[in-house]
Order: sequence, then structure tokens, then C-alpha cells
Amino acid sequence: MRVDPIFRLIVTRMTLSFVSLFAVSLIIFASIALLPGDTAERILGRDATKQSLEALRLQLHLSDPAPVRYGRWLSGVVQGDFGRSLVADRPVLPYIESYLGRTLVLGGLALLVHIPLSIGLGLLAAAKRDGPVDIGMSIAVLIGMSVPEFVVGIFLVVFLATDLRLLPPLALIDQARSVWDALAMLILPIVTLNFAMTAYVVRQTRSSMIDVLRSDYVRMAQLRGLSRSRVLLVHALPNALAPAINAIALNASWLVGGIVVVEVVFNYPGLGRLLVDSIRFRDVPMIQGTALVLSATYIGVNLVADVLTLLLNPKLRTRLA
Amino acid sequence: MTDETRPAISRRTLLAGAAALGGTALLPLESAFAATAPKTLRIASGEADGVKATLDPAYGTNDPDAARANLVFEGLVKLDENFDVKPSLATDWKTNADGSVWTFNLRPNVKFHDGSPFTAADVIFSFSRLFDPQKPSPSAAWLAPIDPKGIKAVNDLTVEFTLKQPVVEFPDLIAYSKILKAGQSNDQVRTAGIGTGPFKVEHFVPGEEPSIYVKHDQYWQPGKPGVDRVELRSVPEESARIAALIAGQIDIFWDLPLRGLNKLEQDKDVVIQSAHTGFWLGIAAWTDTPPFDNPKVRQALKLAANREQLLKAVLGGRGTLGNDSPVAPWVKFGLQVSQREQDIAQAKKLLAEAGHPDGVDLELYTSASGSGLVELATAYKAQAEPAGIRIRINQAPAEDYWSNIWLKKPFIVTAWSGKSADAALSRPFLSDAEWNETHWKNKDFDNYIHEARRTLDETKRGELYQKAQELVRDDGGAIISLFADAVGATRANVKGWKLHPQKLSQSFGDVTIEG
Repeated sequence: MRVDPIFRLIVTRMTLSFVSLFAVSLIIFASIALLPGDTAERILGRDATKQSLEALRLQLHLSDPAPVRYGRWLSGVVQGDFGRSLVADRPVLPYIESYLGRTLVLGGLALLVHIPLSIGLGLLAAAKRDGPVDIGMSIAVLIGMSVPEFVVGIFLVVFLATDLRLLPPLALIDQARSVWDALAMLILPIVTLNFAMTAYVVRQTRSSMIDVLRSDYVRMAQLRGLSRSRVLLVHALPNALAPAINAIALNASWLVGGIVVVEVVFNYPGLGRLLVDSIRFRDVPMIQGTALVLSATYIGVNLVADVLTLLLNPKLRTRLA
Repeated sequence: MTDETRPAISRRTLLAGAAALGGTALLPLESAFAATAPKTLRIASGEADGVKATLDPAYGTNDPDAARANLVFEGLVKLDENFDVKPSLATDWKTNADGSVWTFNLRPNVKFHDGSPFTAADVIFSFSRLFDPQKPSPSAAWLAPIDPKGIKAVNDLTVEFTLKQPVVEFPDLIAYSKILKAGQSNDQVRTAGIGTGPFKVEHFVPGEEPSIYVKHDQYWQPGKPGVDRVELRSVPEESARIAALIAGQIDIFWDLPLRGLNKLEQDKDVVIQSAHTGFWLGIAAWTDTPPFDNPKVRQALKLAANREQLLKAVLGGRGTLGNDSPVAPWVKFGLQVSQREQDIAQAKKLLAEAGHPDGVDLELYTSASGSGLVELATAYKAQAEPAGIRIRINQAPAEDYWSNIWLKKPFIVTAWSGKSADAALSRPFLSDAEWNETHWKNKDFDNYIHEARRTLDETKRGELYQKAQELVRDDGGAIISLFADAVGATRANVKGWKLHPQKLSQSFGDVTIEG
């Protein structure tokens, strides 16, 4: 029986992803276990008394050997039990769910704008290569990328929210009474994130488009008298997308864990903030859980990017078959 | 009590909707809604909250914790804006001859959120749990004179505290201790504690914002609280706080930056409030190290400061002048002598008398570890220059300033949070104080403080604290130049809220929302 090569590929990649996730879980566990001193001492710091240290060691099962503790943690995780936060004194999982939920909403919407915007701009730049549009845009996106997100964010808040009063400054989406309210609150963070993300993808798209446009088959299509837009969009673009997709995947991973600053400016606590806070409080189970979920998202995003790249690229597709 | 109490539609959205449709036809509908729609007050702390959050007043650590506790619980007594003790759940109190036994009469007809009556048993429970050996409250440290076994119910509405040692200002000491309904578990108190306060918890998950509180229908103060619901969150980013007020996303902030408020000042929908606090900024010198070991040098340093100018440069004018006493003049027992003014000629003369006719060269440590510390050093350096006090500023890293520079270098910029007269004087200035940042050891001063602590008569006690302050002012090693204000703001339609100089004591029971 012949299995669809794409399907086989996805299965292989997913298996590999699980292997890497397993490796990541080992690394996360080991790096926390390898830190100097015992976890209980690190958590309690200077407030440690003999009694409280003992109690905490018991709670964390620190007397067990490390492999046993790792096994216990991993089997818990597999069953959906990420343990109990030491600081919150509540299960870790509900926190990860709600913080990740917010992150996915904002990140998803930001990507929804990011993908067509940056590819479109890259396409435009390639089509108008070396003209004023291209140069102007290159400068604009590079400035957008170079200015730190919090500067962009605060500037947008002052200008669009406080001075012009067009949009709400903070993303307090629990106050929203409709989906439109919530979307309005998310516009400024989405714009801020796009400022930071656009440049790289635009430049990737532009340069690979320029390469593709030079190739023989594109010239052939032009000679056959196909319209310029058809040549650009149907013939050239799909072949030029692979580098852009990888750049977008990098951005998508960043959106999940790396946007703490934007979360603070717009008061929208996401997974990045949860991780930073739990490190500050040395909340080991929470750090482990959050780091694992972040890694899983990274791996997942890259898996999607790989598969998309393969699907789009006829050369790779045929080689598989 | 879940979704029914949430306003289905707020006045703001409705107005926005009406405006968007360009129709005024909707407006009558709006007023019909306003009559029935529950009024929600949205308040926000400036300090970050997180999964550590708790409602339990015994274990709260940050400002949002204090705000939660103030919504839900009340103490036997409370502190007013001048740090004077006022009745709350206790109506009055008395003590024996030496201040070792205190009797509080409790307010009758006070109901907890679950409808049960407030009695002496609840007071005993609330104080005893602070000393739980398994998990003592951090407040147990300063409440050490309380003997948990020495608290007894004389009757249902009278409680007697027999202390381990006399404390003449015992009511001050317990002003931050809240009363909870007896018999609650720690778990319950953490997220759904039952108190007597104007609001009861509707929804609070540590680490999730906002937390929501609803009106306590049987609150003992008639007609209060003035709103139906309170939403509490935190907005750690300063610029976001200002933007949220202007946009009307938050109704009350009690913690705004002192500078950069122009936009708020210009907005007629926002009302800024300031309150004097006892938070002081100054410069501390070791009085056992040359040249500061000569009292004339210390006086010259104090005379070189132009405090009016410092106030503008360091706090943007939002504060009051310090008179080299750590007790702010409006705080109970605050120093009542004329303000020390800049006098360059006199400073020069004193320096010459002390053997420095050509002036002195000093190295002053500061850091960005607190707002205004660097500005204070820079401005003071410029002011002292004409008197022959040549200062080189050493800006140390902010992260470990209080562990590596403070108490370790002879000449530093310092700051202390506001306290009652006794604490403000004793913690930095007693000879054997752990935090004696000026190395000042003065027997007379020590005696005044210790005697004041034994003196029940308020007038006499006040005189002793005055004498102690005069000694610090004229002989001590601290140039206490400024007291910073607290700044908060409300939306203009929010009435009845008063910014308390101490964040721990914010109260929201009197707040109403107009329109």
C-alpha cells in the first residue's frame, strides 16, 4: 500500500518533534537540578529556617534521586499534571492555560496581520526593485525593527490613544463588552509587534523574489505574454516563499515567549510574563511547566513551517515522492 | 452571584455605540439603563501583582494585597491622614496605669459578609492566627508585645489585651491588623475571606486580573459603600497608568509618578490628588568620621542646602520641605520649629571655625535605586559649591545600593519611608539602632526616646519627642531636606475618595460614581 508522502513526512516530523520535546524536558529539568545549592535553599533564600527547609524538601521530594524525580515529573506532565506552583500554592496547569490563551489570541492576531503585510511589502519591494518605493520601504521597516518595542508601544499609546483618542491604550480585554471592543484594545499591541517583526520577513521575501524573478522559467512566462501580476503572484511567489516562511516561524516563536515588554506596556499578561515572574520567585514547578510549553510551541511552529515549505516547493515535493 | 451582577452593558459602551450610530435617539434608553445598571468602580495599584497574590491580611506582601485587604476587612482602629488613631470596629478603648493592659469596646450590630455578628471571639481569632507557630505572619515581628494567650473576651463586645510589656501607643501598633470572621481556614481567607468591610469577594484567583468585589449589603455604615462593584488590577508601567486614566479605563490610581503629569493636569475629566507623606529624602554622613565628626561641619552641610530649589528639582514641586528631622511636621509629634533656610555665609563661617577655611572635598554616593536620589545629589552639589563644599558624585549601581553602599560608605544619599514619630526617630538614630546610617550616638537622645515610650501622658510624650527631634536636627548627621508627596488621581465623576498618605490605608467605602 502506498502512503501519501506528505502524510508520511508529517508523521516522521511529528515523531522527531516528540523526541526533541523529550530532550528539552530533560534539559529543563537538569538545568534546574544542576544549579548550585539545593532547590529548597534557593527558593527560601535568606528566610530559610531548618524547619521550613525540611518541610519544603519533603514537599518537593528532594531526598529522592534525580532520575526518580524526573520520572515523576514527566509522568505527571504526560497525564496533564504539571505539579503545584510553590508561590501560588495552586496547580500550575490552569495558569499556563490562561496565560497561554491570552498569548495565543494576541500572537495569532498579530500573525494574521504580519503574514500578508510583510510578504506583500516584500513582493512590492521586489517588483519595484531599487526604485524609491523599495528604498523608502527598506528604510522604514529597518527603523521599525531597530526601535525597541517599548518605545514604539509607548509612542503609539501617547499619540493614538492619549492625544488623538482613537483607540484604548491598555488591552484590558475583560472590560470589553463585545468582540469589537476587545479587537480595538488589541490593535495597538498588534501594530507594535508588527513594527518589530516586519523588516526581516520583508527583506527575506524581497531577496528571494529577486532571485526567482531572474530565473529562466519566470523569464519564459513573461515571454509567453502572461500579465506581470500573474507572473509575480502565481509563478514566482510560491517558489520565493520558503525563506519568508522560516523567518515568520521565528517571529511566531518570539510572539509566544519573547514579548514581555509589549505585555507590560499594554498590561496584557501572557506566557512570557508568567515565565519571568516565576523565575523571579524561583517557582520551580511553574518554571518547568512554562518552559516546557514554550518549547513545545517553538517545536510546533517550526514543524508547521517545515511542512509548509515542503508543500510549497515542487522540487522538494517531488524528491520526496 | 455570578453573571447576574455583571453589568450587561456599561454606560460607556452604550454612549460609544450611540455616538457611532450618530444617533441621539438612543440617549433616553441610556438614562433608563443608568438607573438600574450596577455601578462598577475600576481601581488599580501601581505595583505588579502575580500568582503570589493573597487576600489574607496576615501574609500580604505587596500593594495590591493591601488594597484587597482594605476592601474586604477592617481593623479595630484606623489611622487618619495625620497618622492619628481613629475608631473603626472598636468604638473606644482604655488602658491601665502603665499601658500593659488594653481594653477595647467593640462596635455593636456589625455584620460579617455572611450575615453573622461580629464579636470578641473574632478579634481573638484574628490576632491569635498571626502568631501561628507553623506559619507566623510577618507582622508578628512588630506585634511582639502581644501575648496571644493574653487576649480575652470580657464579654461579647469587650476585648482585653494583656501585653508582655507596656506599650503606650498600642492602638497605633494594631492599626494595620485586620479582623476576620473566626474559624476560617487559611485557604479560605486567601481567596474568599469573610470580613466586615464594605465589599465582599466575588471573584479572586491569585495571578488573574481583575479581582472582583461586590457591595456588602449589611455594612455597618449606613448608605455605604457608594458603588455596587469594584474591579482591582495592577498597572506597573507608569506611562500606561496615565494613559488608562485619560482614556477612562481605570477610575482610581493611588500611585502615580511625581513628574510627567502635564497631560493629566490638562485633562478636565481627571482630578489629581496629592497627599503629604512622611517619605523623606536626604543625605547621611558618618558623625564619627572626619570631617563630619565636627558638629560645625554637619551644620554647615545643612545650611548649604536650598530646600525650595531641591523640592522643584527633585520632586517637581510635589512635596514639602524637610527641617532635618525625620518626623514630618504634620505627623503627630512632628517638630514645630522654624524652617532651616540656606545661609551660605554662615556655612562658610562654620567650616572655617571647624578648621576648613579653604572648604572641604567630599565624595557623595548615590544611585538610581529610588526616584529622585540622583537628582538630589546633583542639585545639592551645585548648591553647596559656593560655601566651599566641593562634592564629587559617585553614582553606584542601583541593584545593590542598599546592600553594598548604604551603611558602608560615610557620605550617601538616603531615603526612608514614612513612619510614626517613634519609629521614624528610633530606627535610624538610636545609638544601638541596626540601621544607624549616621553613626550618631547621643545619650540624651536615647533617653528621650526611651522615656517617651514609658510616658502615658500625651503632652509630656510630645515634649520628649520634640526634644529628641531638636537634637537630631542640630547635632545629627542627616540632612533631611525633602518629604515627597504621594500622588493619585481619579476620573472626575468619582467622588468621595481621598488619597491616604500611606498606601496601606487606602479606603474605598466612601467612593461614589456620578452620572
